[in-house]
Amino acid sequence: MDMTLNAFTLSILTGLQLGSIYVLIALGLTLIFGTLGVVNFAHGALYLIAIYLAVSINNALGFGLALILVPPILFIIGVLLERGLIQRFYDRPHTDQILVTFGLAIVIQELLKWAFGANNIPFSIPSWGNGIIFMHDYLPFLEGFVVYPKWRMILVVVAIVTVSAVFALLHLTRFGLVIRAGMRDAEMLQFLGVNINRRFMVVFGLGAMIAGIAGVFGGPVTQVSPEVGMQLLVPSFLIVVIGGMGSLGGAVLASILIGMAQSFTAPYIYINTIIIYLITVIILLVRPRGLLGAKGVFE
Amino acid sequence: MTTQNNFWQHNRTVLIFALIALTMPFWFPLMGGYSGLDTKIMIFCIFVVGFDILLGFTGYLSFGHAAFFGISAYVTGIMLKSFSDNIIPAILVAVLAATLVAVIIGLLTLKRTGIYFSILTLAFAEMFDSMAMSMLQKWTGGENGLTGMPTPMLFNLKMQGDTVFYFVTFMAILLFYLAKRIERSPVGLMMKAIKCNQTRLEFTGINARKYKLLAFVISAVYAAIAGALMVVYEPFVGHEFLGWHQSGEIVIMSVIGGVGTLVGPMLGAGFMLYFENVLSVNLGEQWLLVLGAIFMAVVIFMPGGFMEGIARLKKRYFTTVDGE
Repeated sequence: MDMTLNAFTLSILTGLQLGSIYVLIALGLTLIFGTLGVVNFAHGALYLIAIYLAVSINNALGFGLALILVPPILFIIGVLLERGLIQRFYDRPHTDQILVTFGLAIVIQELLKWAFGANNIPFSIPSWGNGIIFMHDYLPFLEGFVVYPKWRMILVVVAIVTVSAVFALLHLTRFGLVIRAGMRDAEMLQFLGVNINRRFMVVFGLGAMIAGIAGVFGGPVTQVSPEVGMQLLVPSFLIVVIGGMGSLGGAVLASILIGMAQSFTAPYIYINTIIIYLITVIILLVRPRGLLGAKGVFE
Repeated sequence: MTTQNNFWQHNRTVLIFALIALTMPFWFPLMGGYSGLDTKIMIFCIFVVGFDILLGFTGYLSFGHAAFFGISAYVTGIMLKSFSDNIIPAILVAVLAATLVAVIIGLLTLKRTGIYFSILTLAFAEMFDSMAMSMLQKWTGGENGLTGMPTPMLFNLKMQGDTVFYFVTFMAILLFYLAKRIERSPVGLMMKAIKCNQTRLEFTGINARKYKLLAFVISAVYAAIAGALMVVYEPFVGHEFLGWHQSGEIVIMSVIGGVGTLVGPMLGAGFMLYFENVLSVNLGEQWLLVLGAIFMAVVIFMPGGFMEGIARLKKRYFTTVDGE
């Protein structure tokens, strides 16, 4: 493969940007799975709610308000969903959880299609995020003229900040300590007198909120149409599985891996369209628990 | 008990199904079904009965059975187009091809259970979907779908209108009968034991993998037959045959009807296609929304689907003192 340094750098950047959207969806998925043990097929639909909310608020009131309002609204939606629906399914088989969230995904998608129509709604990027970045100004080893869309770089930064925040929350706070303990052994935690139930509610809201952040920044990149939810959910699920169900680090690693794989195979269209499935199959056959999956987690 | 009595007992459901199915062209139009929809319902009855052998018996939820349906449909289409317009060799080759793929996928995916299995099957199906759209475009017609097939023939018989319906219905009755036979057989019992407690089954020294693979492949064969018949019914194959929508639809049908009952999923298939094609006229664009809501309501309140609902009604209105 003869590739110039410039092309290589651009592929890396595109890989990071693809991985950024994936990680923002997969992080919520794996967080919810790891703590609540719920397989949430409606997570793509939560992202869908986020992008429609974001585009509506952005086009009416500006991007700043969208950024302030959408994540908290998604948090509330997540909490309500957990209390109203998901809670009833903790004791039911995983297949029932898949089915009910799959139904929920259809309902949300169709409601949004009804309200906003099936066509793509243009999502205008705020002026400060528009335009391009001259990469050669920052990376001296590049030759000549190398540019990259500014918004996509912002997306990468947002993903890094969000991932760091989630890790900080889980590893530096008392709340995070309880959640991590709950991921390992929820029953034991209840024996110790910790109200895990209320925290489950917060975790589901948190997962939805990350989807909200993804929607605000990812909307302009992924487009705003009813199919986007499912289109993103399938690769995100694969990423969660590749990384190891319930492993946050694994989700991050797998997102980058898939993003890079898609970016670097872009010139070879036949491989590009199936690379994500190939990687999934190979990894699950070699490492059945995924890259960083812990032993005993949902065997 | 005489042999005759036994026969009646074992095959009552099959005979009732045969009666309802064969008379469909007479009563179905009365409730607004157009001709042709009955054929489609029968095709999906085959698909879901097979799917129930996997999901209902062994408890493995596949989100990728559209792969076998779609692969078989493509192969049938290509065979009709370039080999012969006789449907028999086309269906045989198509089912064989899909079975081969099913054995390979089954061997790989059945190593995992639960959500891993669901996602792996989904991944394989999506992979075939992507392949049909890109590297196999030359044969599959890509985005436009596979068209230009001649009128399918059963030797000298043109497969059109009622002929297709009765051919498909005959297949559906036969395959339903076979599924019922499998259910009663020792093999069927093993499959159901996998759903109950796989670990315990293995402790008794039984090779559960063998039965899982068998259930997977049988259900794939049913899906493949349905896929091939779909092309006989309507000479067109689109890549949506392979997509997750198709897999999801089968799951919805099975669950709405009642997983594990064989009859239930067929009720679900009939209901869903009737809903999609007839009732949707009144609901307009929002039919899928209503269907999704019904699906959710069933999962939440009536996990056994229509069959559970029927059983509950029976219990309420037809129970006498001694519980008969």
